[in-house]
Amino acid sequence: MENGGAGNGRPPASAAAWNFAASGTLLGLSALSVRGVLGRIKAGMAAEDDGGRPVIPMGHGDPSAFPCFSTTPDAVDAVADALRSGEHNCYPSAYLSSDLPYELSADDVYLTIGCSQAIEIICSVLARPGANILCPRPGYLFYEARAIFNGMEVRYFDLLPESGWEVDLDGVQALADKNTVAMVIVNPGNPCGNVYTYEHLAKVAEIAKKLGIFVITDEVYAHLTFGQNKFVPMGVFGSVVPVLTLGSISKRWVVPGWRLGWIVTNDPNGVFQMTKVVESIKSYLDISCDPATFVQGAIPQLLENTKGEFFEKTIDVLRQTADICWEKLKGISCITCPSKPEGSMFVMAKLDLSCLQGIKDDMDFCCQLAKEELVVILPGCALGYKNWLRITFAIEPSSLEDGIERLKSFCLRHSKPKVLLET
Amino acid sequence: MDGDGGKRWRFANPNPAVAAAGERSIQRYLVQLHACLDEHGPRPIIPLSHGDPSSSACFRTTPEAEEAVAAAVRSGEYWATPPPPPASPLAVAEYLSGDLPYELCTDDIFLTSGCTQAIEIVMSVFGQPGANILLPKPGYPKHEAHAVFHRMEVRFYDLVPERGWEVDVESIEALADDNTVAIVITNPNNPCGNVYTYEHLSKIADTASKLGVLVIADEVYGHLVYGSNPFVPMGLFGETAPVLTLGAISKRWIVPGWRFGWIAICDPKGILKETKVVDSLRSFRNLTTDPATFIQGAIPHIMKNTNDEFFSKTVELLKETAEICYGEIMEIKCITCPHKPEGSFFMMVKLDVSQLLDICDDVDFCSKLVKEESVVLLPGRALGMENWLRITFALDPPRLKLGLERVKSFCQRHQSPSS
Repeated sequence: MENGGAGNGRPPASAAAWNFAASGTLLGLSALSVRGVLGRIKAGMAAEDDGGRPVIPMGHGDPSAFPCFSTTPDAVDAVADALRSGEHNCYPSAYLSSDLPYELSADDVYLTIGCSQAIEIICSVLARPGANILCPRPGYLFYEARAIFNGMEVRYFDLLPESGWEVDLDGVQALADKNTVAMVIVNPGNPCGNVYTYEHLAKVAEIAKKLGIFVITDEVYAHLTFGQNKFVPMGVFGSVVPVLTLGSISKRWVVPGWRLGWIVTNDPNGVFQMTKVVESIKSYLDISCDPATFVQGAIPQLLENTKGEFFEKTIDVLRQTADICWEKLKGISCITCPSKPEGSMFVMAKLDLSCLQGIKDDMDFCCQLAKEELVVILPGCALGYKNWLRITFAIEPSSLEDGIERLKSFCLRHSKPKVLLET
Repeated sequence: MDGDGGKRWRFANPNPAVAAAGERSIQRYLVQLHACLDEHGPRPIIPLSHGDPSSSACFRTTPEAEEAVAAAVRSGEYWATPPPPPASPLAVAEYLSGDLPYELCTDDIFLTSGCTQAIEIVMSVFGQPGANILLPKPGYPKHEAHAVFHRMEVRFYDLVPERGWEVDVESIEALADDNTVAIVITNPNNPCGNVYTYEHLSKIADTASKLGVLVIADEVYGHLVYGSNPFVPMGLFGETAPVLTLGAISKRWIVPGWRFGWIAICDPKGILKETKVVDSLRSFRNLTTDPATFIQGAIPHIMKNTNDEFFSKTVELLKETAEICYGEIMEIKCITCPHKPEGSFFMMVKLDVSQLLDICDDVDFCSKLVKEESVVLLPGRALGMENWLRITFALDPPRLKLGLERVKSFCQRHQSPSS
């Protein structure tokens, strides 16, 4: 028996003597996170500058800190009531069925800890050696991070800026091979702010069917549309190609911190059942964690009682801020938006570095902007699209105006002298 | 769509690791057992198989905790997703430091969605091809499930029933090799109900140090002790070998559904920092979700303001139900309890099928029991010990007694005439 302590069995001091070490893969992966990139940008920024100006965040995905984007008291009541009652386990299948031509049942809905965990689960379930999935570029790199972590390869297809960021369908076909298992679309789009038409989604469904893959549709921004195109859930094409819909209450109710999301199988032909994808999801959920039960319990009340005015109000603010953003950006010569945002909270803008001096790329632009003007914008490199910018307009309209003014002032200050184009 | 099977669809037969991991789940066994139940039978179902006692009125959390969370939701301060307010990891650090000879700080704490996510994260971070991890048998299947899912090899060391379920330290030394990264211990123990002594934990720490491995201490039942051994946190030995302590409010506050837990780095020598394990944990954080923010927001209030009366009441109740259970089991011939439980909600008991007619093993016993008596026990096979049973006694005493009466009656009915 060991008699422990000093002398015999003294712990060796250096790292080499320990059998455990960090995973190299893991250390690299968090560079693919928006949070990681924003962290680096904010590192160079003071909390408040000498002029007493507040920070203007236009790089985030979460607007709930702003009063104009507060959630509805109905949602708060629902959770508080559920908490006190001890109820749990309810399903949002009726809510999600209302946009579809077929009924979902409770069995088609899996509750998750926000849409993030939904992505985690799907990547875990799909990953097998040699498998690959197709993701959009620009896109939310969390898919890649999770896919790689689970040993899958990610291949990127383009979204076409000149066509309202539609999917390059020929590109998809060229990329896929026999190891491709699925393709991801984000609609309404993060980061592009696009809202796909019925016709375009029908084409996506046809291509997927032809390739024998299914569609993962990230609809976390569902219903947050304010332009011409109405929101069409991909699940509408569930009988053409099996669809896994990811969603959550985070965006529409503006409560990302509540962590309640879902995976829905839109698959009236039962393909997921037959191919054991359903079984796999269930197995994973058995060993994994799920959302706080009283938040689950609050869902029926939350879905039933939230008044239409709350949703309309949110959309009105988004419409207003999208307009401000679109119009004001026109006045900045080194920045171009190929299409006006119609949904979600974001717009992608191209940065013309040739007009600027002392700025080497989008990351550099954003770091200097944060430092000099206390405005935070996400560089496109965080989304696989270098030298573009993702601008979040979901903030108070007056702050947005202020922010864009500061952006303009920064661009003017850094312009190359002979390329000053006044508009 | 035509039914020509998996051939046409390229995504057929998804990740085999998920299926393998999913096999290791208590849920799976319970679902099978519930399928045998006559849900419309005249008698109410008595579950003696669960890990969550909150459906019994006597096991309800403190109203202060509920109010704290309701207040946090209403305040509107916690709807967003910035990094967590430092007040909550700080509250956890202070709570845990109370039992340690050194201070934990906010950087030592990672907040998780319950202890389950803590297990997930720790296994993700260490899961590399070729690595192996030492787990107890009997044990908690989620440890194994996540280890397997993250491609680690699992090696089991024994807990010895005759020695109060102590860890067989010699077997640990025999099992470990250069690829072993960690030993997992659970204290207070699920499923055995024992509580390790200071001396025994010290031995484990020394062994870990000698082998160059860290200790992952699942202390989700921390402080839920009612026998002669006090609760000793493994973090006390953090200077001997680095310790990652996993915990949650789930058991002590009886709110497993609230999904608030933690990983605490108990490593005053900074070895986990040096070996970049801490960096790995931070990196991984960016790839996962965390607890609902308003629960995080309520934590300082919950941890500081829960009065001792609530804790003592729960412990008293567990002591009473442990006594009842132990007493009743003693009277059942075909079942033996090698060690009276002193902590957690469970006891492991041995089943002697040779004394029973037409019952071949623990799964068979539990299936027939559930069908005939509407009482659910967990077969030991779910935890790596065939022909043992895990009994949960954390429910209200009247129902517990009723349930154990039915078990007794079942055993008598199935008794083999020769025994």
